[in-house]
Amino acid sequence: MTIPVEGILLIPVAAALLSAVSPNSRTASAVSIMGSAAVLAVSIPICMAAFGGTVTEYGLWYVDGLSSVFILIIGVVGLMSSMYSYGYLSHDEEHGEIGSKDIRQYHIMFNMFIAAMLSIFVVSSVGIMWIAIEITTLVSAFLVGFYRRNSALEATWKYLMICSVGITLGLVGITLMYASASHILGGDPGALDWPVLFGAAADLDPMLIKMAFIFIIIGFGTKMGLVPMHTWLPDAHSQSPTPVSALLSAALLNCALYAILRFQMIADVTVPGFASVLMIGFGMLSLAVAGAFILISKDIKRMLAYSSIEHMGIIAIGFGIGSPLAVFGALFHIIAHSVTKPLLFFSAGNVIQGYGTRDMGDVRGLRKSMPATAFMLGAGTLAIVGLPPFSVFVGEITVLAGAVDAGMYPVAVLTAAFLVLVFAGFTRNIFPMMKGEPEGEVKAPRGVLRMLPMATLLLITLFLGLFMPEIMSDALWSIADWFTGAT
Amino acid sequence: MDAAISGNLIDLCVVAMLLLSMLAMTTTRIAQLLNAFAVQSLFLTFLALVVADSTGHTELFILGGITFAVKVIGIPWAMRRISVRLHAGREVDSTMGIPGSLLICTILIIVAYLVTEPLMATLETITRNCLAMSMSVILIGLFMMVTRRKAMAEAVGLLMMENGLFLGVISISYGMPLVVEIGIFFDVLMVSAIIGIFALRISKAFDSIDTSVLRRLKE
Repeated sequence: MTIPVEGILLIPVAAALLSAVSPNSRTASAVSIMGSAAVLAVSIPICMAAFGGTVTEYGLWYVDGLSSVFILIIGVVGLMSSMYSYGYLSHDEEHGEIGSKDIRQYHIMFNMFIAAMLSIFVVSSVGIMWIAIEITTLVSAFLVGFYRRNSALEATWKYLMICSVGITLGLVGITLMYASASHILGGDPGALDWPVLFGAAADLDPMLIKMAFIFIIIGFGTKMGLVPMHTWLPDAHSQSPTPVSALLSAALLNCALYAILRFQMIADVTVPGFASVLMIGFGMLSLAVAGAFILISKDIKRMLAYSSIEHMGIIAIGFGIGSPLAVFGALFHIIAHSVTKPLLFFSAGNVIQGYGTRDMGDVRGLRKSMPATAFMLGAGTLAIVGLPPFSVFVGEITVLAGAVDAGMYPVAVLTAAFLVLVFAGFTRNIFPMMKGEPEGEVKAPRGVLRMLPMATLLLITLFLGLFMPEIMSDALWSIADWFTGAT
Repeated sequence: MDAAISGNLIDLCVVAMLLLSMLAMTTTRIAQLLNAFAVQSLFLTFLALVVADSTGHTELFILGGITFAVKVIGIPWAMRRISVRLHAGREVDSTMGIPGSLLICTILIIVAYLVTEPLMATLETITRNCLAMSMSVILIGLFMMVTRRKAMAEAVGLLMMENGLFLGVISISYGMPLVVEIGIFFDVLMVSAIIGIFALRISKAFDSIDTSVLRRLKE
């Protein structure tokens, strides 16, 4: 039996409703975990079919290989994050920072957030995709402002304002694209459907598309965290509860990236090479600025947030280069980043709850006080800076190889140089926390549901770095060939 | 309707919208700012109706109706209530004086004309000249968001940007598919509701809705 696309969206909505009526916070957590597991289970058949070349397309919906990559990422990260949420929020509840009513609200918003993100990847109209992206901002604003501290409110306000402006500019871009398409397709009501737009891409007006893509990369780039529109990102990531930070970094940024990719595919047909320059330019700038800030960061979650900007930069460069090899690398890097970053956020969450501070300078003796967390944090750090044998290494090296292969030597050299900078920043900040003696009392958090997602993510990132399953490499190669127009 | 008359009416509405954006930049009171926004939305409604009538795109009547209900009545009413509850002070602080702001508005309008000039040649709609105006309204809205210090004024800047955007949608393609447009309206409504909620929370937490207190998060 195949479950239709609606099923993927209905499960998180149902989970949100069930958590609203749950008698206590424990049930609400269980509902979230089971809902996330169900989403993952239901999306696998549709995604596998899409990887095999069967595009699911009916009514409002459209799911192909590219969207499937993102749907599976949301499934995995959502499940891990919902598991981690349980231990994380229980700890806060025990220490009287939040009540069980807050936890229930958290789970309602958490599931709505998952539903909003999933709907971006399954709709065919770019207009509805825009609406879904805007809804993710609105829903996640409540999660970012979950702790009603002043600093969290400030982060939420910045997040709402900057992302709303960004998304409005993105809509200007969509409007311009629609103007060009409706001119050709006449009054066709499907002129906003992505497959229709892509099919007509060769006949669109180059001037309008250029203008549209500039608005789109600035608008959606705001939400993706590209420098210089990234200023909301470190604040929102550092102020939100840790499981939400992981979701923002590993799932939400991908949503805006996905929208940009869809439009890049259209722009590449209409005006070849135009989008590449912008993608590489913004990617380089993001990489450079994020690298510098990682080096000087004091707050561990801000540092991880800048690391997300850095990885979004690498991914943008990969897609900008635009050869099948580089696009393959960028696609793989999206997956690698999305499984590795939550591992780091979860470890950081343990440290923050144990020591009661986010300042890395105040944390000492981690290896003695929390050996398991210290191990995870250390392994995660090695993974995220791109050391072998972890998956991020494979992604980065493939993008670099793609740059060299395409003859873009300056891009390759600069990228490599910035990666060294990031490596220096991470080792300088993370490893001193391990040594020495812990000062004062450490409330080491425990629990299987904390360690299980971390161990799983570590195994996935290690596994993907060592062997790439054939089904995955086939799927990514076929998407890369299709993306670059090689087939 | 006679084509010349409808053309004149369209120009009138668009120019009025731009002037109201500039008026909004010069006001120093929240109530005036909200009035300027409401009247601007009213002209947007008229514009939608005139274009619907003269081009036969009947779904623009619906768009006009929603604009009237949401942007002329709903949002200004709700924001006025919130600002009364906040005792928002009557002043709209700005990081820039009025003459300087107006000068920059003028520059923004010139930029909008330069940017949209090559695009206008490619369009065939009767309203294509509005594109530059639409871009001006968007840029002035953005400028207002950047320079104003009060949460309410920032929100109005965002809403005015959205008005400019709808002006653009109507002028270059006689509106998007209806599902999308209703969705976008629903969205605008949600954005203003949520911004209202957070403005209330900020005023409770900081005892002020002056967003210059929100400058603590940095490296």
